[in-house]
Amino acid sequence: MKKKFQTKKIALAVALSFGASLVLAQSGPIKIGVVTPLSGTYTPIGEQVKMGLDLAAKEINAAGGINGKKIDLIYEDEEANPAVATQKAEKLFQVEKVDFLTGTVNSGSTLAVGQLAERNNKLIATTVSFADSITADKCSPNVFRVNARAGMQSAALAAWVDKEIPKANIFFIGPDYEMGRSTVSAFKKASTEKGAKDVGEVFAPLDNKDYSPYFGQVRAAKPNVIYTSVAGNDTVRLFTQMDEYGVNKGVTIVGASGTVTSQNMGAIGKSANGFVTGVGYSPKLDNPANKKFVADFQKAYNKLPDLYGADSYGLLYFYKAAVEKAKSTETDKVRNAMNDLSWQTPQGTKKMRAGDHQAMQDMFAVRVENGEFNIVGRVPSDQAIGPDTCTRF
Amino acid sequence: MLESLQYIYAPQIVNGLSIGVAVVLMALGLTIIFGLLDVINMSHGEFYAAGAFISVSLMAMGVSFWLCLLLVPLFLIPIGFAMERLLIQKVFHYKDRHILTLLLTFGVAMVLEDGYKIIWGANPIKPSAPISGASELLGVMFPNYRLFLMGFGALIIFSVWALIYKTQLGAIVRASAYDKDMSSSLGIPVKRVYALTFAFGVALAGIAGVLLAPIYSVFPTMGRDFILMAFSVVIVGGLGSIKGAVIAGILLTQLQSISSLFISPVWSDPLVFTVMVLVLMFKPTGLYGGMKNA
Amino acid sequence: MHNPQAKAIRLIEILLLVSAVALFVIGSILGDTFFLRLATESLIFGGLAMSVDLLLGIVGLLSLGQALYFGFGAYLSALVLKEISPSFFLAIGVVTLSSIALGWVASFVALRSKGVYFALITFGLAQVVAKVVYNTRSLGASDGMMGVPILQIWTPFGIVDAGQPGIFFVITMITIGALYAVLKYFLTTPMGSIWHAIRSNEDRLAYVGYKSKGPKQVAFILAAVVAAVSGALYPMLRGFVSPELMFFSVSGNAVVTVVLGGVGTLIGPILGSVLLTSFKSIIGTWTVHHHIVIGLIFVVVVVSAPKGIAGLLAKYFGKAHSGKGGE
Repeated sequence: MKKKFQTKKIALAVALSFGASLVLAQSGPIKIGVVTPLSGTYTPIGEQVKMGLDLAAKEINAAGGINGKKIDLIYEDEEANPAVATQKAEKLFQVEKVDFLTGTVNSGSTLAVGQLAERNNKLIATTVSFADSITADKCSPNVFRVNARAGMQSAALAAWVDKEIPKANIFFIGPDYEMGRSTVSAFKKASTEKGAKDVGEVFAPLDNKDYSPYFGQVRAAKPNVIYTSVAGNDTVRLFTQMDEYGVNKGVTIVGASGTVTSQNMGAIGKSANGFVTGVGYSPKLDNPANKKFVADFQKAYNKLPDLYGADSYGLLYFYKAAVEKAKSTETDKVRNAMNDLSWQTPQGTKKMRAGDHQAMQDMFAVRVENGEFNIVGRVPSDQAIGPDTCTRF
Repeated sequence: MLESLQYIYAPQIVNGLSIGVAVVLMALGLTIIFGLLDVINMSHGEFYAAGAFISVSLMAMGVSFWLCLLLVPLFLIPIGFAMERLLIQKVFHYKDRHILTLLLTFGVAMVLEDGYKIIWGANPIKPSAPISGASELLGVMFPNYRLFLMGFGALIIFSVWALIYKTQLGAIVRASAYDKDMSSSLGIPVKRVYALTFAFGVALAGIAGVLLAPIYSVFPTMGRDFILMAFSVVIVGGLGSIKGAVIAGILLTQLQSISSLFISPVWSDPLVFTVMVLVLMFKPTGLYGGMKNA
Repeated sequence: MHNPQAKAIRLIEILLLVSAVALFVIGSILGDTFFLRLATESLIFGGLAMSVDLLLGIVGLLSLGQALYFGFGAYLSALVLKEISPSFFLAIGVVTLSSIALGWVASFVALRSKGVYFALITFGLAQVVAKVVYNTRSLGASDGMMGVPILQIWTPFGIVDAGQPGIFFVITMITIGALYAVLKYFLTTPMGSIWHAIRSNEDRLAYVGYKSKGPKQVAFILAAVVAAVSGALYPMLRGFVSPELMFFSVSGNAVVTVVLGGVGTLIGPILGSVLLTSFKSIIGTWTVHHHIVIGLIFVVVVVSAPKGIAGLLAKYFGKAHSGKGGE
C-alpha cells in the first residue's frame, strides 16, 4: 500500500517538476510531440515519419535551432488506435508540455487528437492522413495539414489518365472502409468528369488475403485502366496476384498515393512496374532542395524517402517558419503566422491556405519503373487544390 | 449465361478451392492439437508466420524452396516440443486448463508477433514462387503454382490423415487422446506423445507458411489472417476431426467465394461466422466431432 | 477473517480506495490533469475487466469478446450525449437498459455453448459487430464519432463540471464502485452460490435440483451491463468513440488484466487495470516493443501465478494463518 502510494507521489512530483522547469527555463528547447504508429500494421509509415522528422530536427538544430532554441522531438507510439493516440497526446500536452504535436497517421487518430488539441488550446499537424474531411467538413482551427489530400491526388491522376488514355474504361478496386471508399469516389468523380467510363467496382475487406475471387468480375468488365486505393500489405497481395493471373495484361494500373510506397515496393517487385499515381512527392523531383534532401536521407538511413518522409521533413520547416514569423510559440500567434504562410520544402514552395488549413502544392503523376518513381505529369497547385469547404473558422 | 458460367462461376469455384486448401492446411494442425490435447492454440497463426519467415531467411541464404519445405519443420518441431513441455504442461493439471492454455498461447502469440518485427522488420517480404507461369483452365488463366498447391496440399492432408488413422503411431496418438490414464498404464509415454503431437501441429502450421508465402507474402501480423477462418473451419468440422476440417474448409471457402459475387465481399466474413454460430447452436460438436471417432 | 482470499480482496479494496483519495487530493492541489485522467481511464477499462472476471472467475466462462458490450455502451452513450441531450444520467440510464436487452439477446447465442466454444463464439461475435461498425457510415465508420460535449453533471452538491479531471475521476470512481457493489451483492444471494457451483461443476448442479441456465443468463446479462456502463463513461472522458474500442485488442487486454489482477476476485481486475495502464504508459515511452514485454509478463503470470496478484496475496495470508487452518 505504501509503495503504491509513493509511486503515485513520485509521479506527481515528476509532473510538477516538469511544469516548474518550463516556467524557470524559458530558454529551454522547443518541444514537439510525435504521436505516430511505431507498432502494428502502420509501423512502416510511422518509421518514415520518424526518419523525416529526425533528419529535419538535426539540420535545424545544427543551424542554430528556431529563434535560438533547439528542437526536442518526443515520440510516443499510438498503435494506429485513436484511443491510444489521445492518451499519448494528452501525456505529451500535459506532462511534457509540448509546444506542437504531429505524427498521427490514420484519419481517426488525427481527428481525435485534433479535438484534444482544441480542448488543450494547442496546435497539431498531420503529415500523412489524406482523408479530405480533415480539412473540409471536419476541419478544426487547431489542425493543419501539410501533405496533399485525397482530392488533390485524384486531380493529378485524372489529368494524366485523360491525357494518356482518353475515354478510358476504368474498373475500381478499393478497400472496404471509409478511406478506401472516399478515395475511389473522389477519383471516379474526377475521371468521369473528364470523359472516362466507370465499368465496375469491387470493395474488398481490409487485410484481404486473396483477390483472385474478384478477378472474374474485373475480366468481365473488360477495363483498360484499373484504379485501386488499397495500401500496404494489401497492395502486395493485389498486385502480385493480378500478375499471377495475368489480369494486368494490356491494362494500365493506377491508384492512390499510398498504394505503392518504398515500404512495400520491394515485396511487390516487378509487378509494380507501370503503376501510375497522383502524389505530392517523388525522390526524382528535379530541384536542388530535393536533391540535397534525398542525398542526406540516404546517407542517414540508407534508403529513399517517400512522401511521408518528405512531408514530415517539410513540416518542421513549416513550424520553424511560423514560429520565427510569430516570434513566439504561443498557440494563437503561431496559428496566425501559419495562415497563408509560404515555406520551402523538397517539393518546392508550399502555401498553407488560411481558409481550411490545407497546404497547397504542385501535384505530380508518377510512374513506378524498376523501383523508381518517375515523374510523368504535373498539375499546378491552384488547379489541384479544389474549393475551400471548411466552415468552422 | 454459359459464358458467365465459364468465365465467372468456374474460376470462382477453382479459386475458392485453392483458398480452401490453404485454409485446411492451417486448420489441420489446429484441429490435431485440440483433438489430442484439448488445447486451443491461439499462437497457431504465429507459427504459420514462423514457417514463412524462416523460409524467407533460408532462401535468402540460397536454400531452395523444396529444401525449405523439409528444413522448416525440423526447425519448428523442437520449438513446439519445448513449448509444450515448458509452458503448456505447467498449467495442464489445472481444472480450467482449457482457459489457461488458451491464455498462455495468446501470450506466446503476442511475444512472437513482436519478435518477428524485431528480427525481420515491419515491411512485407514476398518470396517468389518456385513454379511460375499460368495455364489455361476452362478458357481461363490459372497460375501454375496454385495448381501445384492444390495437388500438394491435398497430398499433405491425405498423408496426415493416413498417419493418424492408418498407422501404429497414429493409433498410439489416438489412444492417448481417448484415455490418458489407460494408455499410460499400457506403457505409452503419454507425456512425450503430447509434446510430439503439439510439435507436429506446429510444424504443419510452418509448412503451410512456407507453401503460402509466395501467394500471400510475409509480414509480422500475417498470423492473424487465417486464424478466424481456421477456427471457424475447425469448429464447423468438429474439433479434432481431420475429415471434418477438410469438408468444412472446402464448404466455407466455397460459400465465401461464391457469395462474394452477389454480396459485398465485406459481408462474406460475417456470413461464414453466422454459419459457425448456427452450427455451434444446433450441433455443438460440429459435423464430425472428435479424433476419437474418426 | 480466516479466509485468505477474502482478506486479499479487502486489502486490495482499501489499497485502491486510499490511493484514489491520495491521487485526488494531491492531483487537485497540484492542478494535475494527465495522471487523474489516466487513472480515470484505467478505472473505465477496469470496469470492463471486472465484467470479464464475473464471467471467467465467478461462472467459469471465458469471454474473448467483451469489448463488444463496452463499445456498444460507448457508442450509445456518445449518440445520446451528442444527439439527444448532454445528460450523464440519461446516457447511463439508456445504456443500462439497452445493454440488458442486448445481453439478453446475445445470451441466447453465446450460452448455447460452453468452454472453449463459448470463448470462440464470443470472439467471433465481437469481431463481426466491430466490422459492421467499422463500415457503418452513420456511426462515423473507421473514423468514429468526434465532438461528444463536456458534461455538466447534476449532483446533490450542485452542478459539477466533468471537464475538471478531478471531478470526473470521482464520478468514475463512484460509478465503477457502484457496479462493483452490485456484483458483490449478487455474490451474497443464492444466485451467487449457484454461480460458484456452476464454476465448480455444472453437471452436478442438475443432480441437486438446480437449473444452471437461468443463473448463467443473469450473469451474462450483468456482465454485459457492467461492460456497457463502463464503456458509456469513455466518451465522457475522451470526447469521442472509435471502432477500435470494439476490437479484439481491447477484449484481449481485458483478459490479460483479469489474469494479472486475480481471477474471481472482481476487485483484482481493477487493480490489474490500474497497474497495467500505468505500466503501459511508462513502458510505451521506453520501447516500441511493449507487446513483447506485456506478452512475456502475461505468460509468466499464467504459468507461475495463475491466480494473479490477488492469488499471491491470498497465498501469503494463507501461509501466515496456516496454523489456524485457513480455507
